[in-house]
Amino acid sequence: MECLATSDRGCGTEARRVIPVRYNFRSLIIRRVGTLMTVLGVALTVAVFVSILAMGTGLQSVYLDTGDPLNLILIRQGSQVETNSFFNRNLKLIVEATEGVSAVAGEAVVLVNHPRKTGQPANIVLRGISDRSMEMRPRVKLVEGRMFRRGLREIVVSRPIAERFRDTQLGSRIKMGRSMWTVVGIMDASHTAYDSEIWGDYNEISAEFERYVYSSLLIRCADASTLPVVRDKLKNDRRIQLDVFTQQEYFEAQMGTGSAVKFLGFMIAAIMAIGSCFAVMNTMYAATAYRTREIATLRVLGFKKRTILASFMLESLVLALLGGAVGCFLSLPMNGISTGMGNMSTFSEVSFNFRVTPGLMLNGMVFAAIMGVLGGYLPARLAARIPIVRALRTEV
Amino acid sequence: MKFLPLILRNTFRNRRRTILTVLSISVSLFLVSTLRTLLDALERPPMTPESAMRVLVRHQTSLANLIPIAYKDRIRHVAGVEEVSTYQWFGGVYKDPANFFAQFAVDPLPFFKIYSDIRPLAPEQFEAFVKERPAALAGVNLAKLYGWHIGDRITLQGTIFPRNLELTIRGFVSGGAGDSVLFFHYDYLNEVMPNLNGASSFVVKARSADEIPEVMDAIDGTFTNSTAPTKTETEKAFVLGFMAMWGNVRTLVVSISTVLIFTIVLVAANTMAMSIRERTGEIAILKTLGFTSRDVLGVLIAESALIALAGGLLGSLGARYLLGAVDFQTYTAGFIQAFDVKWETVMLAALISLAVAFGSTFVPAWNASRLQIADAVRRRGE
Repeated sequence: MECLATSDRGCGTEARRVIPVRYNFRSLIIRRVGTLMTVLGVALTVAVFVSILAMGTGLQSVYLDTGDPLNLILIRQGSQVETNSFFNRNLKLIVEATEGVSAVAGEAVVLVNHPRKTGQPANIVLRGISDRSMEMRPRVKLVEGRMFRRGLREIVVSRPIAERFRDTQLGSRIKMGRSMWTVVGIMDASHTAYDSEIWGDYNEISAEFERYVYSSLLIRCADASTLPVVRDKLKNDRRIQLDVFTQQEYFEAQMGTGSAVKFLGFMIAAIMAIGSCFAVMNTMYAATAYRTREIATLRVLGFKKRTILASFMLESLVLALLGGAVGCFLSLPMNGISTGMGNMSTFSEVSFNFRVTPGLMLNGMVFAAIMGVLGGYLPARLAARIPIVRALRTEV
Repeated sequence: MKFLPLILRNTFRNRRRTILTVLSISVSLFLVSTLRTLLDALERPPMTPESAMRVLVRHQTSLANLIPIAYKDRIRHVAGVEEVSTYQWFGGVYKDPANFFAQFAVDPLPFFKIYSDIRPLAPEQFEAFVKERPAALAGVNLAKLYGWHIGDRITLQGTIFPRNLELTIRGFVSGGAGDSVLFFHYDYLNEVMPNLNGASSFVVKARSADEIPEVMDAIDGTFTNSTAPTKTETEKAFVLGFMAMWGNVRTLVVSISTVLIFTIVLVAANTMAMSIRERTGEIAILKTLGFTSRDVLGVLIAESALIALAGGLLGSLGARYLLGAVDFQTYTAGFIQAFDVKWETVMLAALISLAVAFGSTFVPAWNASRLQIADAVRRRGE
């Protein structure tokens, strides 16, 4: 028997304390069909776990990535989100005159109910933007067609919307309000919240929907050090009476749906894991039963109960970790798949991509290891407690 | 059937393995049943003959755009319309944003005629509510959750509307979709919010379900070229449209369920492979005794079917009775009104179990049943 001794003294008394890992690998290979099925069972559980978490992570990352550290956003007090907000346009003049503010964009948002390609309708945010809006969002770029022209019923659409909704491709015309609007450009907002929006000229949109107000003011500060100063000034300006948030705070407050998805992922995976634990247990009990005589022999050779326990736990752990690795591999194709979900604070749909990150895969492996340990403990304990004499006498 | 004792004996031959397999299958089918019921709750909201007579009118653009309140009278005069009420979502915060529940501003008399399945607990309570403008009727679940009593004053902090509402609870309602909803007067909202004079939706009751298509066309036709063109939908379409906002739940549920079923196949196949391998010698003896290959195959598949069916029924009935005891309406703020695992779903779980049993056992059982006696005896114990 080959041994993986910890010391260089070879297979002396020192080495006999540990059963070589190779022994476990071999026994897994001998029962390869059973091993394979158990590994696959664990793998599927891990794949579901990682995939649902990837969905939650993708959704949350939209909100984590959107905020620009130099931007502030002003909305009506207590409205929580832009879609609920509206206020007098004169306030913009006061804000513009505040020291430290380098640019202000007054914008209006309208929810538009529009069918997805599947036919089911969803609400899309239609944003009326002003001259400074684009420069304050450096991550939003026009990638196809051209920008809308002022004074025309023209719009630019984010790429995920163009891919997932009807009649939103370049050159299409869609009815919003009482007019037909032409899609003249496609924009890419690099997976931020603006990737779920349609943009048009503020004046056109406010006229179409009779919203002669602003929903929000987006403010660019000169630099990072002036931002807190500007923020305090705006908060304390009695004339304004609006909620002031950094753009980052504003979007981070909307991550609730993402957390709910992650919670769902944990629940489903936990239930599946119970089933997989039983399956691992079954396999490991079979492994123990199959090797009763071997185990007894090992005991006779001087291996301790503890050593047998550790060896069987290790085998179960290897089994589960193999499953974990396969599961992570199976979940990889999910990475980048584009989908949409309702944002329950804005009542509009957010487009996002599944994100399988190394951290999530590590979570998956830890999850697999837990299944291995829980599923392996009882069989390993049974193996360690086998009565030697009777076991040696048993046939098979 | 004469083999039943043999099948039962075999099933309990390795009790621990059988129990683990049954539990493993039951956990998976518990989840499948739960997911299917969730999908049902989202895609097939409970519909009554009465709900088939109701339609909802909203702005063509989306619910976030208001329709002028003056449209209400024009809708009432559309042929086939029996009652109209304002139906305005308030979306206020009660103490903490985490306390989420539905709040609707309505026209008391017509509204509760249209939704006659939502019943006040006592007629006096309803009368008191109708008489007083800042009064509210609370669903019984909300009352329980927040400990409200008649006469309590509550404040709803506006989010969509920039005003706070001071309401006095004048009574409670139960039944229909009202158990987790707070109702108050639209007139009060309109008074608090000067220049509102609009609502995001109206609910309409038609004289009969047959007239619904004409009523819908007539309402939308009335406002086609107005400042606020409308979109009228049946209550069912309206609810489904609202649920569709969650995203593609169906794909999610179907894919998770498929993976789950595949996992059970693996578990069952593994168990049966183990137990058949152990039994090669016994199979030889059975065949020596005169059992045909087909008998052996039947006995093995029946054993697997028994185990899978036990797991499937345990899982789906477990879901039925465990989840039936949970008050989903309260926990989901009325989004999910009932979470009943239907008998259909239990049947489906049973069918899945049988299919799994057959699919996972056929190959090893077939091979075992084809064994030549001499080979089988020799292989015994391998």
